[in-house]
Amino acid sequence: MSRHQYAMVMDLNKCLGCQTCTIACKKLWTDRDGTGYMYWNNVETRPGLGYPRQWDRIGGGWKDGSLQPSPLPTMDDYGHAWEYNYEQRLYEGKRQPVMPSPEPKSGCNWDEDVGGMNADANYFFYLPRICNHCTYPACLEACPRKAIYKREEDGIVVIDQDRCQGYRYCIKACPYKKIYFNEVTGKSEKCIFCYPRLEKGEVNACAAQCPGRLRFVGLLDDPESPVHKLVLVHKIALPLFPEKGTQPNVFYVPPFNPPKIGNYGKSIQEDPRVPLDYLTYLFGPEVRDVITRLEAELKKQQEGGRSEALQLLIGRDAETRYRIRPQLVQIQV
Amino acid sequence: MSDKINPKKPFSRRGFIQTAALTAATLALPGCSRKEKPVLSMLTGDFDPLRTYPYRGWEDFYRKIWTWDKVVRSTHSANCTGSCSWKVYVRNGVMVREEQAADYPRINADLPDYNPRGCQKGGCFTEYVYSPQRLRYPLIRTGERGEGKWRRASWDEALTLVSEKLLDNIYNYGPDTNSFFSVIPAMSPVSFCAGSRLAHYIGGVFLSFYDWYCDLPPGEPLTWGVQTEACECADWFNSKYIVLWGSNISQTRIPDAHFAYEARYNGAKIVCISPDYNASATHADLYFRINPGTDGILALGVAKFLIDQDLIDAPYVKEQTDLPLLVLAGSKRFLRESDLKKGGKEDIFYFWDTKQQHAAPTPGSMGSDQKTIQLNGADPALTGTFQVQLANGKTAEVTTVFELLKKELSQYTLDKVAARTGLPAHEIELFAKELGTRKPAMIIHGAGTNHWFHNDLINRSFILLVALTGNIGKNGGGFNHYVGQERIWPEQGFFKLAFPETRKKQRFQNTTLWSYVHSTSKDPHLYNGKPIEWYIQESVKNGWMPLWPKNGKKPRAFIVWRANYLNQAKGNEILESSLWKDLDLIVDINYRMDTTALYSDVVLPAASYYEKVDINSTDCHSYIHPFGKACEPLFESKTDWDIFRALAEKMAEVATKKGLKPFHDDAFDWTRDFTQLAHDWTGKGTIQTDEQAVNFILGNAEETKGMTYQQIQQKPLRFIATDPESWNSDIEQGVAYTPFKHQADKKRPWRTLTGRQQFYIDHPWYIDLGEELPTFKEPVEEKYPLYWNTPHGRWSIHSTWRDHRAMLRLQRGGPIVYMHPDDARKRGLQDNDWVRIHNEVGHCVCRLQILPGEKPGRVTMYHGWEKFLGFKQGGWQSLTYIKIKPTQLIGKYGHVNFRLNYWGPTGNNRDIKVDVEKAKV
Repeated sequence: MSRHQYAMVMDLNKCLGCQTCTIACKKLWTDRDGTGYMYWNNVETRPGLGYPRQWDRIGGGWKDGSLQPSPLPTMDDYGHAWEYNYEQRLYEGKRQPVMPSPEPKSGCNWDEDVGGMNADANYFFYLPRICNHCTYPACLEACPRKAIYKREEDGIVVIDQDRCQGYRYCIKACPYKKIYFNEVTGKSEKCIFCYPRLEKGEVNACAAQCPGRLRFVGLLDDPESPVHKLVLVHKIALPLFPEKGTQPNVFYVPPFNPPKIGNYGKSIQEDPRVPLDYLTYLFGPEVRDVITRLEAELKKQQEGGRSEALQLLIGRDAETRYRIRPQLVQIQV
Repeated sequence: MSDKINPKKPFSRRGFIQTAALTAATLALPGCSRKEKPVLSMLTGDFDPLRTYPYRGWEDFYRKIWTWDKVVRSTHSANCTGSCSWKVYVRNGVMVREEQAADYPRINADLPDYNPRGCQKGGCFTEYVYSPQRLRYPLIRTGERGEGKWRRASWDEALTLVSEKLLDNIYNYGPDTNSFFSVIPAMSPVSFCAGSRLAHYIGGVFLSFYDWYCDLPPGEPLTWGVQTEACECADWFNSKYIVLWGSNISQTRIPDAHFAYEARYNGAKIVCISPDYNASATHADLYFRINPGTDGILALGVAKFLIDQDLIDAPYVKEQTDLPLLVLAGSKRFLRESDLKKGGKEDIFYFWDTKQQHAAPTPGSMGSDQKTIQLNGADPALTGTFQVQLANGKTAEVTTVFELLKKELSQYTLDKVAARTGLPAHEIELFAKELGTRKPAMIIHGAGTNHWFHNDLINRSFILLVALTGNIGKNGGGFNHYVGQERIWPEQGFFKLAFPETRKKQRFQNTTLWSYVHSTSKDPHLYNGKPIEWYIQESVKNGWMPLWPKNGKKPRAFIVWRANYLNQAKGNEILESSLWKDLDLIVDINYRMDTTALYSDVVLPAASYYEKVDINSTDCHSYIHPFGKACEPLFESKTDWDIFRALAEKMAEVATKKGLKPFHDDAFDWTRDFTQLAHDWTGKGTIQTDEQAVNFILGNAEETKGMTYQQIQQKPLRFIATDPESWNSDIEQGVAYTPFKHQADKKRPWRTLTGRQQFYIDHPWYIDLGEELPTFKEPVEEKYPLYWNTPHGRWSIHSTWRDHRAMLRLQRGGPIVYMHPDDARKRGLQDNDWVRIHNEVGHCVCRLQILPGEKPGRVTMYHGWEKFLGFKQGGWQSLTYIKIKPTQLIGKYGHVNFRLNYWGPTGNNRDIKVDVEKAKV
């Protein structure tokens, strides 16, 4: 088990849905052959289909101490990386418009901004997702080759690209479906929590490039780190689907949408636009307390008081949002 | 805490591991407190990958991916208002990726910083650089326009063709038949100036863009006498009440939105007013799902409430606005000195001084000798009716603008406003109360409301709210409009480079008017019983608006760079079949084949944003930073500066070869010797390179004096001062910039006829059309059932990135129209159906997405889609036409005069309506 654990907190009330994180990750890590459809970091509208489609409904993770493998998602579930016939239209005098191929029927962000209905009120929020670098990774357990491991010094879960045989048991086991199969190399790949950057003292690309500034990164066991404070001191960040049993190390500050029309001034308990049942589905029963606490903190600030938790979430600069410990790399096995 | 882990089976080794894990993570994690904990099955083999791993050498695989040989600072020039400094990473001579430079200096310790500044589009520009759309060589059309048939040409051949044509036009038809279109100098002024200098020296017509794209808020020149003035976005954090009105900041102000949401955590409330429940509404405290086109009535209803409840800042209103000024009851004109005295001035105005009980001249108006608006102890009456003796000896009744305003507002009762906007009356009241009491308060304004036909009225109504409450000219307050990167900070330096013989010697043209008149456009509506053509004729005849070319001539040559005129044009289909056909040379200078390039005759390949030297600034922040050459221009492309220099040289060569005599340009009494064109264009040889041009601008502007290109390549620098010619506040160290402190604090006159924020416009057309005061007018009547809403969105900057593969893969692969489920059900439409969107102007065929957040009665397509991609037929501008508002054609009224991109009719499009049906495909 790792000596330290890197963790990330994402504040959903600051997320713009702009996908700069997605592109930051894509351009850095998955701009290679066989990786076109992969988004180690994706942002999905919730409630919604997710990426891959219905990942949260098909299984994975632990139950009663055993793995609960799901079926493998299909390419349609992920969405194809469309190609375009620019040349024909722009240079070759063929009149047909430039079109995506294959014909779009699903995609990684297919239901952007759709969300759900609570009575007659629409609600939605964005859920950015990376690998959770779980404390009890189901993928690791599922790999017959033992090619997935948790880095001893920082808890980052990685797939050995030399030893992986592409069996894909890990994909079935992961309850978050955050492992992708590269058909060109025949290996499975996933978010590496940007260990090459952390080792040099640079924060993860998805966090470094996030213009919404909603990501906080540090060691969960470092009392000075913002993630430690948000998760364990202020207790306003929760993991996704805690009941899947893998103990994720990515945490979310849950979202609060505005009251429904005509209910301005009413509290979230009185008039939740995002149904609390839905938030409970995603973040577990503790979310009710967390969201109530967050609302109280917001009210305190709006009435002229000061909330330490919100002042931290403002995250005025990178020094506040990230605490990277490059020296951890020294403790290699 | 270890009791929380309760393995069912007692694995001693696993138990040990778990204990170790807990000493690392140590603490109970919220959400993990369920009864059953996972138990990992016993692993076989000699290592446990949960604890240790023996084969870690492979990790270099990913380490090697994050490597580079060179990093160069650059940015993008797409008119997003972002102005974000990026680092471009080069490996083996290839631009592999980019990352925000994230090194904007901080303004002060309390304000969040500007880092990282940049969005997903900026984060994948490198893909464009090597894409199939990238233009590699000069091309000359061989097929029909728009067909996409070309032959590769040499630079020499292409430039000779263009040079001969431009010179022919000058000598045979006049220099005003050569037209030049390029947008937004702030985003890359050197590239802009390259072409504007050529237009300048050959007498060509330079076309506007900010008004044409309807990004100009005409209420600002009318009320404040400025183009657009907004606070830099860090100032949002200083606010306690932020109203997002027609601005979806989560989508369109991606690098800045955090300031608003962080302000919320710091105690601000956020109100979002928008027909659709969108990505910004989700972060609001109060969301108003307003009926489209009714924003004006909401604002006026709130204004009435503020006045009725005495929530106005009376001292501010008396000093800073025209509300106390006196108006003659009969003529509805301001009381002027010329009314009171023989030979009196037309631009001296009066208020009723309650101390002296007489009409006193207001200080600081255009005709006033006093260059201050300080009241010096006078106390202007806001209400009342008074008698004054006129020069002709008669007595006349006068009243205040405020009285007239109250009368105007009396019709906007809460019930009426609630009914028209579709909002709950009690929430409107709460909103009004908070706007009047939470200080400072600001409106963040955008194209959602600015693109309506009556945008001037909407603007004026909104500005009224923050003026009544004394929020303008204060940090954290104001009416802050952000659409288009219109603001070039080092403006005076830019003017000197752009139009060296001064702007007085340049033919300027409002593009809305130019496009309307030179095409078969026809607005069917009547205004006060008269067609728009009548107003256009009057305006041109009175010298209010210019119309080039003169004497009924048609434009003949059209040069476009840094822009996508045809794709973005309102009435695209109409223009394509008329104006476009009349042009006999269309040249497009571009790094990618966009729709305008595709429909051109000659396409010249330009350097991309990462292959050039230039600068970039925005109204969203107060820093300047550069473009840089990560690589030399790829293939045969050249920088815009080098292209226009080469064109100037080629024209001089052709003129010499042909033995052309100097051309006497009567309009400016300017003898133009084209054999000397290259010499003139380079400033007599002093400005040869892009970098010299950058340094010329920096060195000739108060904002950037002493800075050099080399310095800003190191780090973005904050502007050091503001030129009072261009600006209305100083740059203060440690303070976010917000405009109008010169007026609010230093009591300098506003740049208007009355020297005050002027809500009353007593121009005869305004009085005739009933618009002398902010009033509510319904959207222009159109026959179809659904509003055609084409806002700015997150996935493109206008047309740029619309055809970008990495971006398309994160959408639905092509253009989509959003519709409310009820409207779809009524029409029998399913999600992802091909649909035909149509009205009397035209149609297009694309895919449907059903979106519950959309407002029934409206469909939305985020704008900018290239006409060549994803549409089975038509395009998003196939449904629009040009509709000029008469009040925007006026001129020679005090501060309201034609000025390129400052005042001229806007190319509005929000009132257009359509219907949607299932397409047969």
